[in-house]
Amino acid sequence: MSFWLELAASGLITGGIYAVVAIGLNLQYGLMRIMNISHGEFLMLGAYLTWLAHTVLKVNPLLSLPFVALCLFALGLGVYRLCFRRIARTAPSVEAIEARSLLVSFGLMFLVQNAAYLAWGADLRGYSFLAEPVEIAGARFTANRLVLFGFAVAASLVLLALLWFTLVGKAVRAMMQSPTGAQLVGIDTAVLHPTVFGVGLALAGVAGALLSMVYEISPAMGEPYTVTALIVITLGGLGSTLGALLGGFLLGVVEAFGMHFTSPSLKMLLSYGVFILVLLARPKGLFAR
Amino acid sequence: MTLRNTWIATLAAGVVLAAAPWTLSDFALSLVLTCLMYAGLTVSWAMFSGATAYLSLATAAFFGIGAYVTAWGLATLPYAVVVPLGGLVAAAFAALVGAAILHLRGAYFAVLTFGLGELVRHAVTYFEKSYAHTVGRVLIDVPAGTTVYLTVLLLAAAAVLTSYAVRSSRFGLALAGIGADEERAQTLGVNTRLTKIAGFALAAFFAGALGAAMAVRWTYIEPNSVFNPFIGFQTVLIAMVGGAHTVIGPLASSVVFSLLTEFLRLQFPYLFLILLGLLLILLVLYLPGGIASLWPIARARLAALGARLAKLEGGGARA
Repeated sequence: MSFWLELAASGLITGGIYAVVAIGLNLQYGLMRIMNISHGEFLMLGAYLTWLAHTVLKVNPLLSLPFVALCLFALGLGVYRLCFRRIARTAPSVEAIEARSLLVSFGLMFLVQNAAYLAWGADLRGYSFLAEPVEIAGARFTANRLVLFGFAVAASLVLLALLWFTLVGKAVRAMMQSPTGAQLVGIDTAVLHPTVFGVGLALAGVAGALLSMVYEISPAMGEPYTVTALIVITLGGLGSTLGALLGGFLLGVVEAFGMHFTSPSLKMLLSYGVFILVLLARPKGLFAR
Repeated sequence: MTLRNTWIATLAAGVVLAAAPWTLSDFALSLVLTCLMYAGLTVSWAMFSGATAYLSLATAAFFGIGAYVTAWGLATLPYAVVVPLGGLVAAAFAALVGAAILHLRGAYFAVLTFGLGELVRHAVTYFEKSYAHTVGRVLIDVPAGTTVYLTVLLLAAAAVLTSYAVRSSRFGLALAGIGADEERAQTLGVNTRLTKIAGFALAAFFAGALGAAMAVRWTYIEPNSVFNPFIGFQTVLIAMVGGAHTVIGPLASSVVFSLLTEFLRLQFPYLFLILLGLLLILLVLYLPGGIASLWPIARARLAALGARLAKLEGGGARA
């Protein structure tokens, strides 16, 4: 019994991270049609920032979380200003925005990843943080994984609350429903777009910071998370935040059980299989009505 | 250019390049080989993705499939069979995947093809580990360098000719029609589904065959090297630089980029990729049509300049 609990819980823990990464990506796509395939690279930057703060300045990784989020938010504003603002202004159609932003983020992916290689080398880095085991209902976890789960869920829920209960959140949701309509009632794209892009990167950075507490990090760590996040937002429906949250947990659990019954090296194949099945059966996402 | 002139030009270039193994040094020959490989990859990529605006990031997957066909088949089959076989396997794979995902437009399609390389790479790694108990494969008994060069030259020339032939055929017009407005093309009686699958598979054939042909150049094959996302990235970048709507544009820029790659990638691997990333971003932002889109402008400017000069001369003569 405790074994199954452990399996399900480890799926949920991974799923929590997937959810945070996917929500950020989904916000960017839902609002601006920016399919940012360099998303995972910013997760990697968040991980390296936390690692640097911990090893050089001896800062507790949990304390550096807000700092990492702020840094990535600022970086997001910069990246949006330099790369995506022009696309949004000059592209003739929504399809052109999608295609061009995809290519630009493809370039960003290579830029950021190789900058990280240049700065920190290809070695795996890591530090030990809260690695002692904790026992809950007969199942054993390392404490850092529980912390990771807690913060991932908290970050997702805070974001959902912001979207649902604040005026800015309302503006974001309005703009997702109808960009023209939202502009007609006075919602300012020039403020909202960079902000949401920044929030997306901040979430990626938080996810990276959390991951660095548990796993070893490397400049190439981001790419698999990008692919996973893309799968998750397909599961949950493009643009749907709640869908991304649920989709993240679902994929995490499916992967955990799938890997148990087959083999850990099939992880990518499993999530890809889920991806293709969903695309074929329910292209608008599992939760679409 | 008319189709006949293109044939003659391509054949002439092919004959000149075919003499390279006997006239050039080994180093120069390997440079030309890289150029030809990227030329073939880029031109065939542009044939489908440039025309239809379906952004395929799967080149690395097809290339790797071709390379693995060689890795698995070269022990029992001759090189001349393995290369087209690699292309056919890649094309069959593309047709299969295409049938499942080509009804998805825009970002979904690009995203799926982006993950395709990862998927195939993991599948091959898993297969090799659990059934063949190996990580990579050493290719022994590879054909001579000249054979490889001539094969790649043949494939690149075939890609260029096919690309031109497709552009002036009903099939090519259907592809371009899908790129311009898919629903309109469908209304006008184009079987868009079949056309897209055929175009995708045709592009994959060349990528796969090139992968199969080039595999013997690296004596050691492993999933991480042949499914390298860099191959797909470089292909898209070159086509974008040259202008994906043309054939000449990608062809010209693939020469420039392969030379750059050969010289810079080994010396400054990371910095080089950072620069390429930056270049792609700048290009998409400021020149989405590629260098080829500058030609009509440049030609118009030249014509205007010529007219002004003629006027000046005329004025001078009168005075």
